[in-house]
Amino acid sequence: MAELRQIAIYGKGGIGKSTTTQNLTAGLVKAGKKVMVVGCDPKADSTRLLLGGLAQKTVLDTLREEGEDIDLERIVKTGYGGTRCVESGGPESGVGCAGRGIITSIGLLESKGAYTDDLDYVFYDVLGDVVCGGFAMPIREGKAKEIYIVASGEMMALYAANNIAKGIKRYAGTGGVRIGGIICNSRNVDHERDLLRAFSKELGTKLLYFVPRDNIVQHAEIHKKTVIEYAPDSNQAKEYENLAQAVIENRDFTIPTPMTQDRLEEILVEYGLMDLADDYKI
Amino acid sequence: MGLQQSEVPVRENRLKSIIYYSGNAAALTDPQKADSFVHKERSYSQCSDCAQMCAGTITYFVRNAAVVVHSPMGCFANTPVNDTQFRNASLERGQDPDRVHVLCSNISENDTVYGGIRKLQKAVQECYDRFRPEAIFVHSSCAAGIVGDDIEDTAADMEKKLGVPVVPVYCEGFKSKIWSSGFDAAYHGILRKIVKPAEHRQKDLVNIFNFLGSDTFTPLLGKIGLRPNYLVPLASVETISHMSEAACSSQICETLGTYVTKELEDNYGVPKVKTPAPFGIEWTDNWLREIAGYTGKENIVEEVIRTEHERIRPQLEELRTVLKGKKVYIFAGDSYAHNVGSIVRDLGMELVGMTTLHHDMHSDSSETGKDTLAELVKLYGDIEHYTVCNKQPYQVKKIIEELRPDVMIVRHMNMTILGGKLGIPSLLEGETNISAGYDGVITTGKRIRNLMETRGILKTLKEYNQFPYSKWWTDQEDPFYFEKK
Repeated sequence: MAELRQIAIYGKGGIGKSTTTQNLTAGLVKAGKKVMVVGCDPKADSTRLLLGGLAQKTVLDTLREEGEDIDLERIVKTGYGGTRCVESGGPESGVGCAGRGIITSIGLLESKGAYTDDLDYVFYDVLGDVVCGGFAMPIREGKAKEIYIVASGEMMALYAANNIAKGIKRYAGTGGVRIGGIICNSRNVDHERDLLRAFSKELGTKLLYFVPRDNIVQHAEIHKKTVIEYAPDSNQAKEYENLAQAVIENRDFTIPTPMTQDRLEEILVEYGLMDLADDYKI
Repeated sequence: MGLQQSEVPVRENRLKSIIYYSGNAAALTDPQKADSFVHKERSYSQCSDCAQMCAGTITYFVRNAAVVVHSPMGCFANTPVNDTQFRNASLERGQDPDRVHVLCSNISENDTVYGGIRKLQKAVQECYDRFRPEAIFVHSSCAAGIVGDDIEDTAADMEKKLGVPVVPVYCEGFKSKIWSSGFDAAYHGILRKIVKPAEHRQKDLVNIFNFLGSDTFTPLLGKIGLRPNYLVPLASVETISHMSEAACSSQICETLGTYVTKELEDNYGVPKVKTPAPFGIEWTDNWLREIAGYTGKENIVEEVIRTEHERIRPQLEELRTVLKGKKVYIFAGDSYAHNVGSIVRDLGMELVGMTTLHHDMHSDSSETGKDTLAELVKLYGDIEHYTVCNKQPYQVKKIIEELRPDVMIVRHMNMTILGGKLGIPSLLEGETNISAGYDGVITTGKRIRNLMETRGILKTLKEYNQFPYSKWWTDQEDPFYFEKK
């Protein structure tokens, strides 16, 4: 039996981490893989498409209301194609410590034996930036060893990706965590593919996959489904299956080489904005 | 700054305090050089203390008040000791014995995730129901501070609900390496929430900021017809609320009272006594003179001073014959150590060295107040071996071994044990009030004289004692080796 691959997905808030992770998961399921998705975001929307809705009670809500003596079934739900779905959740907005919550809830999952031998993949879908130690939990202590950063050609997405790379580098020495590549969730920015390639190269990794922009993703979201479930014959479904294949086949894991702000801006000017003067349209 | 802010800045930032120094005393008081001493963290610490404990030495002992410690249980572990202290100190002061009224909100793992405010509300309510206090102090803690629990708003809500002051004390341990910052945090809360504007002045009342200590200031101030207002431990909420009515404010230790006396002066017009606290004859003279100036007692003070000098002269001379030239080392907080230095000078002893737990490079009232270390240097002359060290027995051991004093005077119990292991009679200056004033010089002299008798047993103790330090450290010459790396 193949070894369990634990993968963390990071990226700027709103970039499409959860959408990408769930569609990728659906692609892996289609390829016959057994997957668990752990949402590490207080909004608890990381498994909505796999479960067909936001019905799931989070680990932290369950813990708060029922105490620690809870069965795994209470917090792990089965979604599309037998995927196991967990939402870590968090405190109410504006109180407590969400980072600490992730530490608590991953600890609970481990102690309850959620990581069973039949799993091929575990995904951690982590909110925004690696803002503190709690949000770095999935990549600490040898949990997720593989990281993918979801980005686009937009400046702030790349800025966040570079920051996340700094966090990965910090834990690369001790935890053995490595970056597996950048997944571009296209925003139709000029020269996006070239820009992301150059950025990935500078970061010491590669552009793993370029997911084109397609409105069908929004349609599927409205129907609370992944694209693969909602429109299995669509081009976009094929794209996500290809993304899944790229992840399956990926063997390039490196320690990232984050760049300075100046260097990042140089790359943007070189690729992203090179035709700005004559190409500007509203 | 100011009382509108919820918190007072920590001493590193406010007073540029330092936690290690090795050199002579005069260099540390040179205003030209003041900015060359900057607060740096230690690379190795054997022990520390917590601002929360310092805050507790003030708030726990307020009569008719109660405390909620918003923390995990460990931060609360000192409470049984405090309870004993409250009872004993009350009796010593001549008051009815009382006990601490303290609850812990018991922050747990889950509270660090969801926030601990509900637990805090419950604890404050429980505290009120159980003790019916006239004021409730709420101590913050590291856990509460990191999670960001909104103690300020919770306290305000509970205050409205219960109708008694609910006083936040922001004494999170991690904020400062100068644990005395906890004193300031407690005073800040008291000044914001309990002290009221003066309705009238009590012209014969002198605020004395002190710890738990016996009533030695009544006879001292009584000589010029004044009364001490002991603050804050063992005082009632009512007494504390009227501290703005006093004629002036002083303290038994500049470090303890620096912040509160300054704020009382600025906000309520109660003058701060600028001369050092009344320890040793000359400082007591100057102290009485300044207070006489605020209270209209100039006409009698000189006569009192002369009479007092005469009164203690025979005993002082007798003590001097025994103690003259005896080498003494002092280990105490900044600036209580300076007070003790002033006393041993009167006893004719040789001050071979002094260590303070930290050193405030500035005072809260730098413009007008006097630097007690500079005053001591003026009084005694320079102290060649002057160090700043926040306890750290591994270093103090080396300092003492180099200085070889006949006797040491320490403010903290653990350091008497260190002295004992080194075969040096050690006087625990645990109760500060008994050393104040003219009688304090005599009392201290007698205590040192009696202490010298213990040399024999300590010599034996030293022979059998083994320190846990490696040969490498034992062979190092410089106690501050790690700080100079």
